[in-house]
Amino acid sequence: MAHAATHDHHDDHHGAPSNFFTRWFMSTNHKDIGTLYLVFSLLMFFIGGSFAMVIRAELFKPGLQLVQPYFFNEMTTMHALVMIFGAVMPAFVGLGNWMIPLMIGAPDMALPRMNNLSFWILPFAFALLLSTLFLPGGGPAGGWTMYPPLSLQGDSVAYVVFAVHLMGISSIMGAINIIATILNMRAPGMDLLKMPVFVWSWLITAFLLIAVMPVLAGAVTMLLTDKYFGTSFFNAAGGGDPVLFQHIFWFFGHPEVYIMILPAFGLVSEIIPTFARKPIFGYKAMVYAIASIAFLSFIVWAHHMFAVGLPLGGEIFFMYATMLIAVPTGVKVFNWVSTMWGGSMTFETPMLFAVAFVILFTIGGFSGLMLALAPADFQYHDSYFVVAHFHYVLVTGAIFAIIAGSYYWLPKWTGHMYSEFWGKVHFWNSVVWVNVLFFPQHFLGLAGMPRRIPDYNVAFANFNMISSIGGFLFGASQLIYVGVIIHAVWFSKKKAPDRVWEGAKGLEWTVPSPAPHHTFELPPVIHDDELAHGHVED
Amino acid sequence: MTQQDTDSSNEARRKSAKRTALVVAVIAAAIFLLSILQMLKVK
Repeated sequence: MAHAATHDHHDDHHGAPSNFFTRWFMSTNHKDIGTLYLVFSLLMFFIGGSFAMVIRAELFKPGLQLVQPYFFNEMTTMHALVMIFGAVMPAFVGLGNWMIPLMIGAPDMALPRMNNLSFWILPFAFALLLSTLFLPGGGPAGGWTMYPPLSLQGDSVAYVVFAVHLMGISSIMGAINIIATILNMRAPGMDLLKMPVFVWSWLITAFLLIAVMPVLAGAVTMLLTDKYFGTSFFNAAGGGDPVLFQHIFWFFGHPEVYIMILPAFGLVSEIIPTFARKPIFGYKAMVYAIASIAFLSFIVWAHHMFAVGLPLGGEIFFMYATMLIAVPTGVKVFNWVSTMWGGSMTFETPMLFAVAFVILFTIGGFSGLMLALAPADFQYHDSYFVVAHFHYVLVTGAIFAIIAGSYYWLPKWTGHMYSEFWGKVHFWNSVVWVNVLFFPQHFLGLAGMPRRIPDYNVAFANFNMISSIGGFLFGASQLIYVGVIIHAVWFSKKKAPDRVWEGAKGLEWTVPSPAPHHTFELPPVIHDDELAHGHVED
Repeated sequence: MTQQDTDSSNEARRKSAKRTALVVAVIAAAIFLLSILQMLKVK
């Protein structure tokens, strides 16, 4: 399938501009822009990770050890902003850019020049955001949620708001491009319900982005006008309401959580069938489950605000609506397990990370269910239990899936196999230390340790020390990841075949490794039995 | 599929992609404006 259209380009970078500046700064090629996104997100992952190391170093022992409280607050705020908007989201956009056109048989993204602009906005946005750390008054320190009036107290508000605007514009343009590509650029025969689950997950995520990023932009614009133009949207003294900001923010913020996890579901749904050597169990159910989760994400925002003083009816509604999310999520977890059930499984590095994702994300899901219970949340709210919960969802969930996806497609991108030995060393170190890092935080939270504090009661000393040791070693483990990537890109001698994994199915495996600069200039012919999910019943 | 067929089908796809992008962009801009306008209480 599709070989005629692609196999005449065995040159590594056939058609790519030879000039470095032209190729990387002015690129309109989805693969090069995908690479730029992935490299950028890796850089941000280490910058955000270094902020986390400062946090864990300060919390290693009770008392103020290394940094001033204001700087500690800057670190918690910046860690979140950089990881969410700089590492996780661009990583998924990078994977989408690289793989969506290859998976649907399109020659490129629908709007290649806008694709270039979407990426190149980001370095400026983050340069602006990170520059606030060097302002005389310091950077933002009110938490990534930017609740007023706290967030309005510094002098960095305008910088942060403009940076968030830029990130929002970038995300919206990226989402527009993905929607236009998937709806218009599919090869003939690639019907919507024949698309890989990863493509489906990105289509739904792109609609979520379109719906909520403008809301965040609106919220921070109102912060800006409250600070500098005399409005009182969130100022009680002027007739506004600070709680209004929380409602608007979380109307964006909860779907944002799903923006960071739905593409992860898609990735895992590609990897598990490959290494179980079976089609995904319940393809349609998987697609409908993603759509259901996306819908429910719009009606659960106030579960972040149970302690703010909501009416009882509101608390009950948001509690049950939140618990309802467990149903489609459960469908997905059971379908991944059913896909593995009876399969001829092998455990290469991508599969190890995918299996760890299923287990550890489910732990994060269960602690989420505990938090969803309004009466229980009054105890857990703003405690380290919440920190443990969302790090299980976002680190062992989203980031493990991104790492799994990068190992899975790295041979297709580079044309060389990565070192399986060092990949497994990376995996086992990551999976052990991430649990040492985050699991004790459940106990800290249940014992009453609040989040976002640089000092704590001596009663919390032991678990904090264990958590910090886990944090340092988890951080150090990621250097192995960088080593594996550098080795695969520049030093690996082992050539990757076109179909890198024995059980891999889908259009991306029909093009050579490394994928040529231009693919599917003539649309491929689609054969149902070549698709990852096999035959789909009408 | 001949080169001519491919060119005309690519042209049609480009046009419809631009239309899709425009519609989605208008929706995003409308959500942004409405999110602020519905909060305005001008006395």
